[in-house]
Amino acid sequence: MIGKILIANRGEVALRVVRACRELGIEPVAVHSTADAEAMHVRLADASVCIGPPPAADSYLNKLAIMAAAEISGADAIHPGYGFLSENADFAQMVIEHGYAFIGPKPEHIRLMGDKIAAKEAMRSLGVPVVPGTDGPLLHEVMAREAAERIGYPVLIKAVAGGGGRGMTIARNETELIDGMTLARREAKAGFGDDRVYLEKYLERPRHIEVQILADEHGNCIHLGERDCTVQRRHQKLIEEAPSPVLDQEQRAAIGKRCADAIRRLGYRGVGTVEMLYEDGAFYFIEMNTRLQVEHPVTEAVTGIDLVKEQISVADGQRLAIRQGDVRFSGHAIECRVNAEDPKSLLPTPGTVQTYHPPGGPGVRVDSALYAGAVVPPFYDSLIAKLVVHDHSREACLARARRALAEYVIAGLSTNLPLLQAVLEQKAFATGAYHTGWLAGFLAEWQARD
Amino acid sequence: MAKLNVDTSLIETLAELLQRTGLTEIEISEGDARIRVAREQHVLQAPQASRPAAAPAATAAPDTAAREAVESHPGAVRAPMVGTVYLTPEPGAAPFVSLGDELREGQTLLIIEAMKVMNPIRAPRSGRLVQLLVNSGDPVEYGELLMIIE
Repeated sequence: MIGKILIANRGEVALRVVRACRELGIEPVAVHSTADAEAMHVRLADASVCIGPPPAADSYLNKLAIMAAAEISGADAIHPGYGFLSENADFAQMVIEHGYAFIGPKPEHIRLMGDKIAAKEAMRSLGVPVVPGTDGPLLHEVMAREAAERIGYPVLIKAVAGGGGRGMTIARNETELIDGMTLARREAKAGFGDDRVYLEKYLERPRHIEVQILADEHGNCIHLGERDCTVQRRHQKLIEEAPSPVLDQEQRAAIGKRCADAIRRLGYRGVGTVEMLYEDGAFYFIEMNTRLQVEHPVTEAVTGIDLVKEQISVADGQRLAIRQGDVRFSGHAIECRVNAEDPKSLLPTPGTVQTYHPPGGPGVRVDSALYAGAVVPPFYDSLIAKLVVHDHSREACLARARRALAEYVIAGLSTNLPLLQAVLEQKAFATGAYHTGWLAGFLAEWQARD
Repeated sequence: MAKLNVDTSLIETLAELLQRTGLTEIEISEGDARIRVAREQHVLQAPQASRPAAAPAATAAPDTAAREAVESHPGAVRAPMVGTVYLTPEPGAAPFVSLGDELREGQTLLIIEAMKVMNPIRAPRSGRLVQLLVNSGDPVEYGELLMIIE
């Protein structure tokens, strides 16, 4: 039985785990860098260990320091939160080898999903559709032409060695394909020292829809529906909601079952998220996150299931008490990510919080480690709070989200609250007719105002 | 904040450790909970209250001035890593250094064990050891005060 959990993280997620521990009667142990000595997750834990100087590489990413902290604090399990070491297979392995429970999946599954190409292969073989493309690099023009015909235009020419959006060219017809290939090759050679390119179907206006998975090590694996995280910019999500405004009950059950079946066959344990693009009624797997997701409270709101408690329980070897048939979806939930950043330039704005007043009232949940006097250090992620609202319908939920955002006071540093408010006023958001490129477009227009 | 569960087996272990190492006292803390096992009242220069507590707000006011003086001392030697302190090369052996010793820069002061690896901590400067703020077996955090060399 897990009795004491060392939380290898900071900020709101560390606090989230402290809360789950408290309710389960488990002792939480916090770790912190010198920059976080006064942080809320440190104050609310039973014990705390300073593990290093401010840079994350020397503290929250320092595996040895975290293991030593677990040793001196007498913890029997380690919760990695999200980010930092949460998807580091070597760390998970190290934790297990030293006799601690790792509150996450088995290292082999973290490793598999960490390799984006192997992950796609695995999911395809398990029956989850992936974005159609060529299996290997394009050797010559004839091969490219044939592949593009098979996949269907428009196609995306991508560098094998590329990543993060670099080394990609869109081709809408054969001429663009041939020209684009030459260009993409040259860019790839210059950028990555490797001129190999491959083709993938280009989705014009996709949505980002992800399925929440929960599995124990006894072969039970269920899905908790989807989250729509389409409002994002440069792969950074801003607003998430459940259920997705574009899926009906039948589609939800079908994609949920398909993902749960695949993950069950993988022998996965823990919480996990299957991230997909969605366009014209079809889903395409992009990646799986083998950890607790930032936006998990949205799912908690509509299902009433505490994902962190479940995660701890299955990591402890317990059987899932919930069956698929027990999962009920109720109402609608929206999460707004509050970041310490300038609402227009989106540059980080670390500093000290002078006044803090979180919103309240019916259907409002705020996950945040902020308080008046709290310091937001410049060393870490700019996410400072998650505002999650729940109501019986999407329309009511939206009204509640607007109301709650208007109540939120964070003085002393600049936040993106004005941007969140502006987004929720947009017609496209109200109708749900948006795609992954929508926020970038809106931002450009919004930034130009005044 | 920690509740004080009196762990008698822990106290026994500490008492045995005290005998074996020849130390006069051992104190461990977790949050606000502290266990201190002492053999005799001994003249130890370092007031234990001067140790930086894990919970900064928990220290009593009268100690603040003394603590600050120690904290800001230019000869302070701090833990460069998390781990467990050992003042002797092995159980029962003589300690690496003792109060009042004249130390050379680079000399081993103590060991911090982290993940079964013994990391020797060396003197950052030459001088006299005027305060020893940790005991063998103490868990230390990153940046915790270990000793003061003048």
